[in-house]
Amino acid sequence: MNSNWAEENLQTIRTLMERSAVYRRALAPIMLLAGLVGLAAAVIGLLLHLDSGRGFCTFWLGTAVIVVAGAFLIARQQAIKDKEAFWSPPTRRVAQTMWPLLLAGAVLGGTPMVVGGGDAPPDCDSLTAIIWILFYGCALHAAGFFMPRGIKLFGLLFMASACVLFYAFFSGIFYVLFFTGWISESISGHWLMGFFFGVLHLAYGAYLYLTEKGKNAA
Amino acid sequence: MNPELLLQLDRVIHEKGRLAIMSMLAASPELSFTELRDALAMTDGNLTTHIRALQQEGYVAVAKSYQKNRPLTTCSLTPAGRKAFAEYIHLLEQIVRQNKK
Repeated sequence: MNSNWAEENLQTIRTLMERSAVYRRALAPIMLLAGLVGLAAAVIGLLLHLDSGRGFCTFWLGTAVIVVAGAFLIARQQAIKDKEAFWSPPTRRVAQTMWPLLLAGAVLGGTPMVVGGGDAPPDCDSLTAIIWILFYGCALHAAGFFMPRGIKLFGLLFMASACVLFYAFFSGIFYVLFFTGWISESISGHWLMGFFFGVLHLAYGAYLYLTEKGKNAA
Repeated sequence: MNPELLLQLDRVIHEKGRLAIMSMLAASPELSFTELRDALAMTDGNLTTHIRALQQEGYVAVAKSYQKNRPLTTCSLTPAGRKAFAEYIHLLEQIVRQNKK
């Protein structure tokens, strides 16, 4: 018998355990939090007319920071309650998978707005929102390999929607909507953000809340 | 190598397929039959046989329910299964340590 068989067995066990350990911690509360904050931010953005490029970007990136911080707090609270390690391998994998795409999206979507400042084209906030939706969808889809299957589908929904919106943006449909008065050029970005990061997250959070039971371990 | 350590290894867990099932279940509160089958690339029959063996030993609990009107079979480790798995790993670690001496 190969003298290394015990070591190989241990390695196999470790690999299988890592593959099996799927991140499930507090998904419903995190989605509900993201949805509520997203929706509230959209309403505030519309009411306060945060229409300048810099204002739009700063406001929504600030909102994202609040949501991420809130999500970490909820996950940490649950880890403490369940007497588990917060920075568990599944949590680490999900965070490591998502951050490069989220950072790329934030930079790519935010730079033209911040650099352009007040001179940014009037519909630039829509384009920024679409870029953020696309990259967020990519991040969710990538993280979905270490999370329940629904997350991957949720990410695909964002990606597909962003592709359709990109087409609409560059094919001139957006301009037609502006001129026909269906959407105002100053509010479309907030509407997009409110729908995708508010309404959709709330809906998914509610779905998870109603369908999942006791699947919280990370 | 101390042959006594080898003899102490749990024969039920030591089988390759059952060890894979136990490893997957040890890292998750519960897994569905489909998740296990897909992750381990086993046939339905093969997985059923292994799960039945582990169930008879009292290592694995099987629960049948319905999700969206479709039958759902979920498997989880019992406390006895978790203890046996921990002991199995402990023995493997001892064997590895002995080999390195």
